[in-house]
Amino acid sequence: MSKVVGIDLGTTNSLVAYVKDGAPVVIRDGSGDALVPSVVSVAGDGAVVVGRAAERRLLTDAKRTAYSVKRFMGKGREDVRHEAEHFPFRVSGEAGGVVRIGLGEREYTPPEISAFVLRELKRRAEEFFAAQGEVDNEVDRAVITVPAYFNDAQRTATRDAGRIAGLEVLRIINEPTAASLAYGLDKRHTGLIAVYDLGGGTFDISILRVEDGVFQVLATNGDTHLGGDDIDVLLMDTVLGDRARTAEDVQAVRQAVIQAKWDLSDRDETTLNGRRFTRAEFEALIAPIVERTVGPVRQALADAGLEPPQIDEVVLVGGSTRIPLVRRRVEEIFGKKPHSELNPDEVVALGAAVQADILVTGNREMLLLDVTPLSLGIETIGGVVSKIILRNSTIPASGSEMFTTAVDNQTAVDIHVLQGERELVADNRSLARFKLRGIPPMPAGMARVQVQFQIDANGILSVTARELRTDVEQTIEVKPSYGLTDEEVERMLLDSFEHAEADFAARLLIEARNEAEAVIQATEKSLRHPEFPAIDTEELAPGERQKIESVMAGLRMVLNSTDRETIQKWTHALNDATQHLAEVIMNRTVRAALSGKSVDDV
Amino acid sequence: MSSSTTATLQVCRECGAGAPLDAHFCPQCTKILPLGRQGDYFGFLGLPRKLNIDGADLERRFRELSRRFHPDYFYNASPAERRASLERSSYLNDAYRTLKNPAARVDYLLELEGFGAKGPQEASKAVPPALLEEVFALNEELDEVREAREGGAPADAWKPRLERARAPIEAKRAEHEADLGELSARWDALVERGAADSERRAVLESLRNRILERNYINNLLATIARELDRP
Repeated sequence: MSKVVGIDLGTTNSLVAYVKDGAPVVIRDGSGDALVPSVVSVAGDGAVVVGRAAERRLLTDAKRTAYSVKRFMGKGREDVRHEAEHFPFRVSGEAGGVVRIGLGEREYTPPEISAFVLRELKRRAEEFFAAQGEVDNEVDRAVITVPAYFNDAQRTATRDAGRIAGLEVLRIINEPTAASLAYGLDKRHTGLIAVYDLGGGTFDISILRVEDGVFQVLATNGDTHLGGDDIDVLLMDTVLGDRARTAEDVQAVRQAVIQAKWDLSDRDETTLNGRRFTRAEFEALIAPIVERTVGPVRQALADAGLEPPQIDEVVLVGGSTRIPLVRRRVEEIFGKKPHSELNPDEVVALGAAVQADILVTGNREMLLLDVTPLSLGIETIGGVVSKIILRNSTIPASGSEMFTTAVDNQTAVDIHVLQGERELVADNRSLARFKLRGIPPMPAGMARVQVQFQIDANGILSVTARELRTDVEQTIEVKPSYGLTDEEVERMLLDSFEHAEADFAARLLIEARNEAEAVIQATEKSLRHPEFPAIDTEELAPGERQKIESVMAGLRMVLNSTDRETIQKWTHALNDATQHLAEVIMNRTVRAALSGKSVDDV
Repeated sequence: MSSSTTATLQVCRECGAGAPLDAHFCPQCTKILPLGRQGDYFGFLGLPRKLNIDGADLERRFRELSRRFHPDYFYNASPAERRASLERSSYLNDAYRTLKNPAARVDYLLELEGFGAKGPQEASKAVPPALLEEVFALNEELDEVREAREGGAPADAWKPRLERARAPIEAKRAEHEADLGELSARWDALVERGAADSERRAVLESLRNRILERNYINNLLATIARELDRP
């Protein structure tokens, strides 16, 4: 059997874990190092370097080296204009399109860069399994974690990265929830838990209730642009001032401030830029950043309908929670000492491995019920958002909205899908624009188009639509506002020299639908046959007509699904159910022909 | 023929067997049933259509059903079963969220029984007759406060007036909440003894009116809060 793993694809570091004999274990390299820095560098000869080696190249070839790319996932060029200047690599992209990162002569999308990191983790895991003497050491499936507060575009970008790396992404799960799974392996655990996750680039707070092995997220909040990186940038600015500098100088300073930051987690003072730097100075400097986590914590508690004292346990996740000021502040907010028994860098990957194990083994001891972090809505008249699925709804979640036409014989409607909490379209995140086509021509206001929004267990949206008067399913063209199309992901997968099998699925589905429609038409014709009432009473078995009708209704229901097997199964069932009827009609036709009369004359 | 169709309201697509309306799995082949368009949140969770729900019991039912058809457990199942699991889980989550919240629960029951509000627009625009007096007094007060503010009056001159105007409306809300509690108990008693339609309709009618008034009161309080938030 090929292997499944859990992957924490972090802003600063990434790591991979798997479940061995029921317990999750982090996979380390030969020297015992679990962390793969999320850094990718393209050498002059075009060779791609990942991890520690790429990190070292920041000091020698900074412009060809990318880090903290997670901040760019699912983003548009305009979103990152402000921070792009802090990075040594080129950040570009078309207006309104996805960000591009230039390394050397080539440009990459953020999912492609992340795919390099994922492939490195995959390789590391495969080497590890081979060294363990496993017969089939291929790693082809993974659960990948994302910040809980990631929106649809960011989640989709992460899933795309997995696909480009040649991994089947079993599930996208939220980092704080994954951490709680790792902590809650002990099933006796019952109560209310707050997970405070301050990583390299993102901040999440999740409030969970754990009972009977069910990990139910009650509320989540956060900031996908808040983390250790912000502290580094702040310190760098104080050291660098306005001095002119090369990209490599900047990186040298960046590594020095990171070292100083780490030092001050264990000591009261260190040296930075040749002078004494105390923890008190450091804390005064970063206090505003730490303070930015307080608002989301209070909001999550309010959304869960809880007060801080009601929380039974607080769990710390993410490297930035090693900072003493962060720990003190968390303790102040909740009035209790937070847990940190597990390594805050590793706990998320451990939880991802547990979830991967649940998915492939069907182990029902634990169940994770997560929520969607942001409300989902659509644009209505006047640029106002009408919410369809509210934030903190348990996923999977669905919602629907009815649309109609504004002018006579209108056959298409534009729909703009947004994510966020604000009233106005302009203040929310644009997810996608759809054009509903194929509405049958009818007077204005008559069409009743039901658009169904489905958020799956990954927190990713899909949309279907149906005109209720005619029961016609609409064609939806999805144009992700800041994402890659399926074709682009497909091409990147090919580009990345992974073997891709030709995708016949779409064509096979269309063929199955056509066949189903042909059988339905033939059945309807038989039921309308002028002799049918006579046949029904004289020759059909009791209940035979009802059986035909119910199977035909069933086939109609599944006809527009994307599930080819089900459509075929129902098509065959209708064929079987009508076989006798078809024989009877055929016999009558033959008899009528032999007696010189047309059946229609009878 | 017709009696058998009312007894088995959904058909298993796997084996063709009939199943009771609120069954989640086929009684014959044990496969998860696709979500039809019938049924309601109460029935789905195995609850009577009552307004007083034991919170702990609801949580237990929610967890138990999540454990039975969450997509996690259908990863290796057929596409049809995966779809059924996704649809059933989504519906369960919706049902749980709606019934957990007392206000949403009443709204849902009214809609289910054909007493739904005609739409949020109408609900917030038309002044319920029972509130005419309060609304008139408040609007007058708001007009004067706005005038004073535009005339440059400091906040501590007009904020106390708004606070005073809020008190009777809050009293009204408390009154309505108590009414709603009492009507809910009456409804539950009717369900319990299988009362006649006419009795049920009378209680539902009162419930709807109280809800519309309560929503209107909440809007008034929100308006006052917005005014108080101004510098």
